[in-house]
Amino acid sequence: VFVDSRVLEFILPEIILIIFATWIFVGGAFYRNRPWWTGLSIAAYGLAMIVLAKQYIKLEDFFGAGQADTLGPFAIDALGHGVRWLAVAVGVVFTLMQSGPDRSKLSSERQGLVMLLVVGMMLVAGASELVTLFLGLELVSIPTYALLFLGRNDRANAEATGKYFFLSIFSSAILLYGFSFLYGIAGSTSLVDIHNVIAASGNDSAPTGFMTLAPIAAILIIAGLGFKIAAAPFHFYAPDVYQGASNANAGLLAVAPKVAGIVVLARLAAYAMPGDFTFGWQIILVLAMVTMTFGNVCALWQTNLRRLMAYSSIAHAGYMLIGLAVAIAGDAGSSGGVAAMILYLTTYSFASLATFAALAYLGEPGKDIDELDQIAGLGRAHSVPAAVIAISMFSLAGIPPLAGFWGKFALFDSTLGIVSESSGATSNWFLALAIVGAINAAIGAAYYLRVIGTMFFRPQTVAAPGRGGRGVYAAMAISAVLVAFIGLAPGGLSKFTQLAEKTASKVFHERDTTEPIRVSQTK
Amino acid sequence: MTSANLLLIAVLLPLVGVVAIALAAPYAKAAARWIALGTTLLTFGAVIAVVVNYLQQGGEELTFTAEWFSTRQVAINFSLGLDGLGLWLFALSSLLMITAVLVSWEAIRDREPLFYGMLLLLTSGCLGVFTAQDIMLFYVFFEFTLIPLFFLIGIWGSEDRRYAAIKFFLFTLAGSVLTFLGLIALVIAHGRQVGVYTFSIPELTTGLSAIHLPITMQVWIFLALFAGFSIKVPLFPLHTWLPLAHVQAPTAGSVILAGLLLKIGGYGFLRFSIPMLPDATAMLAPYVLWLAVIGIVYGALVALAQSDMKKLIAYSSVSHLGFCLLGLFALNPIGVQGGALQMINHGISTGGLFAVIGMLYERYHTREIKSLGGLARKLPVLSFFMVVFTMSSIGLPGTNGFAGEFLVLLGMFQRGYAGGIDAGLDWQLMLISVIALSGVVLGAWYMLQLVQNVFFGPLKEPSHEGHGEEHSDAGTHEIADASWREIAALAPLCVFVLWIGLYPKFFLDPMAPATNAARSAAAQSWDAVHSTEIVQTPEQLGEK
Repeated sequence: VFVDSRVLEFILPEIILIIFATWIFVGGAFYRNRPWWTGLSIAAYGLAMIVLAKQYIKLEDFFGAGQADTLGPFAIDALGHGVRWLAVAVGVVFTLMQSGPDRSKLSSERQGLVMLLVVGMMLVAGASELVTLFLGLELVSIPTYALLFLGRNDRANAEATGKYFFLSIFSSAILLYGFSFLYGIAGSTSLVDIHNVIAASGNDSAPTGFMTLAPIAAILIIAGLGFKIAAAPFHFYAPDVYQGASNANAGLLAVAPKVAGIVVLARLAAYAMPGDFTFGWQIILVLAMVTMTFGNVCALWQTNLRRLMAYSSIAHAGYMLIGLAVAIAGDAGSSGGVAAMILYLTTYSFASLATFAALAYLGEPGKDIDELDQIAGLGRAHSVPAAVIAISMFSLAGIPPLAGFWGKFALFDSTLGIVSESSGATSNWFLALAIVGAINAAIGAAYYLRVIGTMFFRPQTVAAPGRGGRGVYAAMAISAVLVAFIGLAPGGLSKFTQLAEKTASKVFHERDTTEPIRVSQTK
Repeated sequence: MTSANLLLIAVLLPLVGVVAIALAAPYAKAAARWIALGTTLLTFGAVIAVVVNYLQQGGEELTFTAEWFSTRQVAINFSLGLDGLGLWLFALSSLLMITAVLVSWEAIRDREPLFYGMLLLLTSGCLGVFTAQDIMLFYVFFEFTLIPLFFLIGIWGSEDRRYAAIKFFLFTLAGSVLTFLGLIALVIAHGRQVGVYTFSIPELTTGLSAIHLPITMQVWIFLALFAGFSIKVPLFPLHTWLPLAHVQAPTAGSVILAGLLLKIGGYGFLRFSIPMLPDATAMLAPYVLWLAVIGIVYGALVALAQSDMKKLIAYSSVSHLGFCLLGLFALNPIGVQGGALQMINHGISTGGLFAVIGMLYERYHTREIKSLGGLARKLPVLSFFMVVFTMSSIGLPGTNGFAGEFLVLLGMFQRGYAGGIDAGLDWQLMLISVIALSGVVLGAWYMLQLVQNVFFGPLKEPSHEGHGEEHSDAGTHEIADASWREIAALAPLCVFVLWIGLYPKFFLDPMAPATNAARSAAAQSWDAVHSTEIVQTPEQLGEK
């Protein structure tokens, strides 16, 4: 049964957000009041959070015991649940970032689009079925096109939007092509079925029949999702698009597709397609090395802030791929790879959002902060945004005691775990990966320090207006506080990511409960 | 209140000061330095209480532990504790911070709240490094100290400060990311061998010095740790960031950098490399000794050629820290104790020297040796301090420098002339000992030359024209001798110069059990690796 009441109950937070988004779209046409629609959006997210919290209370013991289940097209596990929380949290920040004054008077449309996009991320997080996955991914992409277009009114923005639109469509097509192979192999769109078929065929002997197509499916899926997370060699759009977009939209681009892409990569590549082809982790490992090195090295010479952040986001995609390589090479449920990836994703998201929110705050409507020189002397002129950017930069560089450090720690810990548990070529490759990752951390620090140095060590050349509005100010403050908080007290998040990794693998393995769990059932 | 909690309070107290400064900043800018002074004094009080408590209990470890981060096997704990290795460095950290605040009192006029906030963050970081009992907590503090010093150099430094700050940060970071991998590898290797995953430093030390990891793994991990620690020390070819950072840093920054942050390198060797990787240490010790001795001579020769006082002291640091490493890697009880003591001594004497030179700079706005002369006549008190710290630095008997250098050299000569090792290495070690001795002579030469040129002979003061736009009225001011504030900054250091010099036993005894334990496994495998009598290849050693 595809739709039953339990499924509806499960996706109640998403439904609430969709209803609110519709209200905002329709109502916005008649009543243009920026603060009202922003407030309403925040209230909607609050409501979604309450429902999520209720679900969590019911599921806490279930997750705690390392259990997971599927429900219709969705997986009930800590991975999905956690990322839904993350989606709502970044949704609040997005909304605040889009709440700044604007001349186009389209803020209600923006808030509605952001909300749809958040729903897309949430659906992706929970989906364990190809069509739902794709639906979620498109629900992330399509509002992004419109939002990009609503960013600024100039040629650079139009070019950026066009570029993103065409390439994104192209990548979606590739991804869908990969999905079709998976469907062909398994005869089912359910990830659990796909997993079972692939696992049953075994991966040691030469594959036969449809199974020969599994590597092609994997490559196509990695290519399609590589675009979403801006991993090399599918990253070329990122610098141009970020540069052409507004600061608020660049923040959205740096986070939303990445969250969605990483979760899907974890679900598909690490869990659903176990060792479906012999060179799985090798490809991801090489992609990770190339991506982070390319991103970091190119960022060294950038003078445009959004371009710099684009290369930085490419480099971080490379880091997250380390976790994926570990998860594929080791046991996806216990190697720590997926946990590290999700932890890294969280810390990266908030640090990036804090940076872009601070930049958005420093500008004024229609006049963004673009160049590095524009933030010279900021430490004296605007000390709070400067401090926020500094915190984010140190976090992105992975300097303790900020959040980014723990992400790096978890990645290196899991990588060296594989090094010690395996032998021969595998061990050496992962050792090389760890060393390349460590060296990249030092290279990356060079440009992050340049940004901080520009803000604090150089005299002011042009005065930043700092007229982004209170909402944007709140967005940057919330993100920066989270970055610092996760850095100082990472215990809870680290535990949860471990749980996410464990339960997500449970979705695909024989489950202890025969009765499907009801989210509504009492404890 | 238990003393473990007091330890936690001592480490976190400076952070309270940071919050107080942040809260007071909008209302009273001048309050920042008073809050900073109060906080450092309070912290010093707490540290003294902890140290006294420790000594009274006869060296029983004090620990505070709370769970912090869960990895896939085991939790990382926020675990603080004090033992013989960290004891005096911990005490020195809190002492030098008072000096750092006092020397900045008049010198720092720009963005005071931020300056003192950073100074206090640095205090917390240093106190934490020397008390961390969890390997990742150590690393967190180790790296965290970079952030405040980066700002201290970059904002309040001299002309070339931006370059110096970034070079300092990147150089140190580049090494320490590899150290990071090495530390994680230690934990994982220990977990694989023993079956117990732990991030606790005491457990790792006992575990890894009992079971020997395979030698190739030891060497790899040793090199990874070496990357970070040797840059921090700094060891000879990796020292280039240090003179630049020292010269550009504000006085307080130089005092802390030389006095404390460089010690983290030596401390790291003593805490991790030597006890946890005994076989690799034994195998690679000759190379490290060579680098150390090259650093001693090279640093001294370059110091001889300097015309800038701060640069001279910076290069003398390269030389003196060579002595520390020489002692540590001599691997015998005397040498290691000497090396550990010399780290404290160098912190006191070089910290004092940088402070005095900073005070001179405040008066004359120059650090050129040539443009100054005969200042003893004009500034007798300041000159007195300068001479005391110089004597300490060159190791005059009766000062702390003598105690440290003597022990180091004694240890090194013992190692060099012990015999019973293969001939090639034998003469190498003898050569190292002798060359190291020449470093003492060179040290006396450049330091005494500095004192003679600047403080004695005919009075020479720079003409006031063209010295600093902001101080264009300096010519109208009479140059005054050390104020009470400056005396308060320097006098405590002087006390320790003499205290350690006259009664080193008081300082050596609490350290001795810990330093002995740290080096014993490595010393044993030194005998096994380099001895002529027992022929045993490193591979066999690893299989034990």
